Amino acid sequence: MEHTEPHSTEPEMANRQGAAQRPNGAQGKICQFKLVLLGESAVGKSSLVLRFVKGQFHEYQESTIGAAFLTQTVCLDDTTVKFEIWDTAGQERYHSLAPMYYRGAQAAIVVYDITNQDTFGRAKTWVKELQRQASPTIVIALAGNKQDLANKRMVEYEEAQTYAEENGLLFMETSAKTALNVNDIFLAIAKKLPKYDQNQGQSGQGQGRRLAEGDQGAKTPGNCCK
Amino acid sequence: MLSINQDIFEIIQAKFSSSEVVRCIHLNVSLFTELSNEEYRILALVTKKSNSALFLFFCKKPNPIHLSDLFIETVIPIDENFECFSDTILGEDKYLLFIVKYRNFILEFRIKTGLESSNFASEIIKCKERSLYENCDHRWLFKYSDVKSPLDCTENKSQSPDIPFVRQNMAQNQNAINRESMLKYQLKLKEPEFTQYQEFTIFTGTWNVNGQLPSISLKPWLSCDTEPPDLYAVGFQEIDLSKEAFLFNDTPREAEWEKMVLEGVHPNAKYRTVALTRLVGIQLIVLINIKHYQHIKNVAVDTVGTGLLGKMGNKGGVAVRLDLHNTSLCFVNSHLAAHVEEFERRNQDYKDINARINFRRHPTAIKDHDQIYWLGDLNYRITELTTSQVKTLLLRNEMATLLKADQLNQQKERGNVLLDYNELDITFPPTYKYDLNSDTFDTSEKARPPAWTDRILYRGKGIYQQKYRSHMELRISDHKPVSALFKSEISVINQAKYRKVHEELLKRMDKLENEFLPQVTVDQTEIKFDLVRFREPQFRDIIIANTGQVPAEFEFIKKLDEQSYCKEWLRITPYCGTVNPGEKCDIRLEVNLETDLVELDDILVLHLNGGKDMFIIVTGKGQRSSFTTSMRALCRMSKPIMTLDDEQYRKIIALDGEVLYSVPRELWLLVDHLYTHGLTVKDLFESNSTQDSFIRLRDWLDFGSTEPISVSVETVAETLLIFLSYTKEPVIPSNLQNVAIAASSNYHNCKNIINEKLPDIHRNVFLYICMFLQELLRHSSENGYDAKTLASLFGEILLRDPIRNSKPQASRGKSNFIYNFLVNDLSTSIIPIK
Repeated sequence: MEHTEPHSTEPEMANRQGAAQRPNGAQGKICQFKLVLLGESAVGKSSLVLRFVKGQFHEYQESTIGAAFLTQTVCLDDTTVKFEIWDTAGQERYHSLAPMYYRGAQAAIVVYDITNQDTFGRAKTWVKELQRQASPTIVIALAGNKQDLANKRMVEYEEAQTYAEENGLLFMETSAKTALNVNDIFLAIAKKLPKYDQNQGQSGQGQGRRLAEGDQGAKTPGNCCK
Repeated sequence: MLSINQDIFEIIQAKFSSSEVVRCIHLNVSLFTELSNEEYRILALVTKKSNSALFLFFCKKPNPIHLSDLFIETVIPIDENFECFSDTILGEDKYLLFIVKYRNFILEFRIKTGLESSNFASEIIKCKERSLYENCDHRWLFKYSDVKSPLDCTENKSQSPDIPFVRQNMAQNQNAINRESMLKYQLKLKEPEFTQYQEFTIFTGTWNVNGQLPSISLKPWLSCDTEPPDLYAVGFQEIDLSKEAFLFNDTPREAEWEKMVLEGVHPNAKYRTVALTRLVGIQLIVLINIKHYQHIKNVAVDTVGTGLLGKMGNKGGVAVRLDLHNTSLCFVNSHLAAHVEEFERRNQDYKDINARINFRRHPTAIKDHDQIYWLGDLNYRITELTTSQVKTLLLRNEMATLLKADQLNQQKERGNVLLDYNELDITFPPTYKYDLNSDTFDTSEKARPPAWTDRILYRGKGIYQQKYRSHMELRISDHKPVSALFKSEISVINQAKYRKVHEELLKRMDKLENEFLPQVTVDQTEIKFDLVRFREPQFRDIIIANTGQVPAEFEFIKKLDEQSYCKEWLRITPYCGTVNPGEKCDIRLEVNLETDLVELDDILVLHLNGGKDMFIIVTGKGQRSSFTTSMRALCRMSKPIMTLDDEQYRKIIALDGEVLYSVPRELWLLVDHLYTHGLTVKDLFESNSTQDSFIRLRDWLDFGSTEPISVSVETVAETLLIFLSYTKEPVIPSNLQNVAIAASSNYHNCKNIINEKLPDIHRNVFLYICMFLQELLRHSSENGYDAKTLASLFGEILLRDPIRNSKPQASRGKSNFIYNFLVNDLSTSIIPIK
C-alpha cells in the first residue's frame, strides 16, 4: 500500500486513477479514456473494435443495436492508456441517442466506408456534430475503413486526408479484415490524448462504467410513468 | 493512574474528528502472537452516529504523550460480522486472551484481567448488539483504509462480494483498484522474466568512537580496498557521550562525522548521501556511488531506543531502508546493552529493535527486506575466560577456542538473537577494549577481557561477503573500527523485457475483463403494439437472458435531457433488476393511451451496469377517440369520430368547419341518458363498472350505433366523469383556474368568469353540466346526493389539474366555485344557444 496522502472520500479523489508502480519504483501511469465510435451503419465500426480488442474478424458482423462496450489497453513509452470503447449503433433511427455516448468522451473515431461516398458525407456530419456538441478537447480520428476493397474505392485518399487536415483530425485508411492500421489508429489517438495524472473522464458524464456511477444525475432512475 | 488514563483518552480522541467519539479505551494491550509481551498497544472503541469500530493503536511508548506517539494499526468495523470472545491463557491468571474476529480476520490480544477489561468488553458487546438493529454504514472508516483492516483483506477476495460497503465505496473504481493490485501481483510473479542480477559492492563499517572528536582521516578504514564500492553504510556508536546529546538528541558531531565519512570514502568514485539517521550517539550514514543515485528509491529511516527505562536512546538501533533497482535493502546500526553478564538484555534489545522499527511504508519491518545488513557495537563478550587467558589464546592464535566463548556465537547458536543471519569467520583480533591511541588491550585497573563487540552480519539472498576485518590503525577510540565488504546481487530491471511482460499482462487482463463483462440478450429489440385505443392497455413481454459469466444488473436508463426512461404512455416492470448467468427475466411493457397521440414511438435504453447498452424500439398507432379530442372539435362533428374519413377528421381537428352543436354530441348522449334513467339512482357516480362495459360504451360513442346504450346507468355515469376528465382542455381552462378559485366566495364574480372569460363551448358545457347536477339535486332524496358532494366531485374534474400533475391543488376552492352554480338560479346566466 502506498504511503501517501490519506484517502479521501471526495468523488474526484475516488476516481483518481491510481498509478501502477513499476517494481523499480518508476511511476507507470495508467490513464483511462472514453472512446466512442461513430459512423453510418455497416461501415465497420464493430469490426474495427473486434479486430483491435480480440484480433478477430467476422465477415458477417451483426448489426449493433445499442452501444457495445469493451476495454483495451495500449502501452506507450511512459504511460499506459486504457480505452473504454463505446461502439455505437450506426442506424439513423438511433442518431438521437449518440450524444449519450460521445458526451464525456475524450476520443472519437468517425468511420466511413471508402467504397461508399455517402458514408463519407455522413462521417463529415458526425465530425461537425462532435465539434459542436462534444467536449472541445476531444481527439477525433477519421477512419476510412474497408481499405481491402480499394479496387471499389469511391472516396479518394487525398480527399479524405485533405478534409482531415482542414479539421485537425487524425486520419488513416483501415481494414478490419486485414488489420491494416487498426492498432495504429488507436495508438495514434493514445499518443495524442493529454495524459494528466488525474481525473480522466471527469469532464463529461458518459454513462459508461465507472465514469457515470457517481456522476450527478446521469443515472438516477427515471421517474415512473405513473 | 486515572489521570494518566484520562490524558491518553484525550490524546486518542484528538486522533479523531469530533463526530467520531471515543467511547472507551483499553491500555496495555499486547498482541498474543508476538514474541515480546510489550504492552505497547491500545484498543479504542470509537463511535460515529450509530456505527462503531474497534481501533488498534500502536504506541511508541507505554504511555503516549503526543499525538505522534500513536498510530492506528488496524481498524475493525463492528457489525454483524464482528465477533469477540475471551479465553484463559494457560499458566497466567492475571491475563486473559481477548479474541476479535471479523470474518476470516482474527486478532488475539493479551490483556490484564480486571475491571478495565470487563468494562471494555461489555461496551463492545453493546455496540455489537446495536449494530444488529441499525443499518451499518462504514464509509467513515474508509479514510483509514491505508491501515490494515479486514475490510481490505485481499486474501478474502472470494468473500468480498458480500461485504456491501466495500462494494459501494469501490463502485467507481473497484475494477481499477483490483486491476492495479492484480497487475502488481502478476508482475511480481513474473519478475524473473524481466530482471537480471547485477553485482554491487557494498562496504559496511561500524565503529564505536567512544565520544572522541573526529580528528583523524577515515581513509585507512573506508578506502582500504582497491576498487571503490558502489554503496557505503557506515555506522558509529557513542559519537557524543554528553548529557545534552542524551537529553536533547542533538549534537554537532553528527555533521562532523558525516563530513569525515565523505572525506574518507574511496577517491576513485563520487558519492552522495542517501540517508543519515541518528539516535543520540548511534549514527548511520548510507552513501551511494553517484552513478547509481537515480536507481535508489523509497528511502526511509527509523530509530528505536532500548536504553534506560527500555526506551532511552543511549542504547538502541537506527535503520535505513531503500530500494536499489528492484532489490530492497535494510541497514541496521545498533548499540546493544553493555556488560558481560547482560547478554540476555542484548538479545532483548535486538528483538525490540526488530519489533519497533517501522518505516511507515511498505515494507514496514526490518525482516521484510530482500537484504539486511546488521552492524554495530553488539556488545557481546567473551565469557568464562579471564583476561590473561584470552590474551594467551590470542597470542597462540587459537581463534576457534576464543570464538567458541563468544557470547554472540553462543546466543546465535541457541536461536536467541540474529537468527538466520550470517557472519563470516572472524580472523581479526578483538576490537575492544584498547588503551586510547594504542594497539594495547585495556591496561587499566578493570583490565576488561578483550571482546569482539563490533560485528557485521547479513541476511538475504545473493550476498557474498568478501572481507571481514578490523582496522588497527585508527586508534583514537577504545574500539577498533570493523568493516565488511560484500558483493551483493541486485535485481535490475531490463526495461525492454519489463515492458513486454507488462504489456502482455495488460492484454491478458483486458481479455479477462472483457470476458467478464455482463452480457445479456433480449429476445426482441422492436416492440410493435397493435392499434392502441383510449384507456385500453396492451402488454408485451420481452425476455432478458444472461448469456455472460457474471450476474448482470440491468436498468432502463434515461436518455439525455429526458425526464424519464420511457414515454408517459409506457410502463416497464421491472425497470431494473439483476439476472444471474444462465437465467432469464421477463420484462413487461404496458402501453396505456390517455391522450390523442397518433404515433407512439420510443427508444428504450437497456443499460447493463458495467457493460453495454441495448436499444429497444417501441412503436404503435393511437386510435382517435372522442374522449381525447377537444370539445370545440367535437362540436363540429356531425357524426361519430370514427366514421369521419381522414380528410374530414383533419379539417375538424384544425377547427376548420362550422360549429354544429352547443355541446359535444357525445356529452349530450351521456347526459341525456342519465337524465332519463339516472336521476333517481342512488350513489350514481360511485360504482365501478367493468373495463369491458366502458369499452363498449366508448365504441358506441366513437363508432356510433343505431342500437340503444346497452350498459348500466352507473357505467354511463362513470363514463361521463371519464369524458370530462380527459377532454383535451379542462372545462375551466387551466389558465382560468386560479382566477376561478379566487372568485369562489362570490357568486357574482364566478358568474362573470363563466360569462366573459370562457370560450363559448366551454361555457355551454359548464352550464349544461351544472344544470344537470341541479336536476340531480332535485332528486336528492332518492339518489342521496347533496350539493357539497357533487361540487367536490365535479370541482376536481371541471377544474382538473393538467394530467399527471401529481399534486392536486386547492380542491376546496374548486368545489366552492362549483357549489355556487349548484345552489343559485342559473336561468340568468344562460345565453340563448344558437
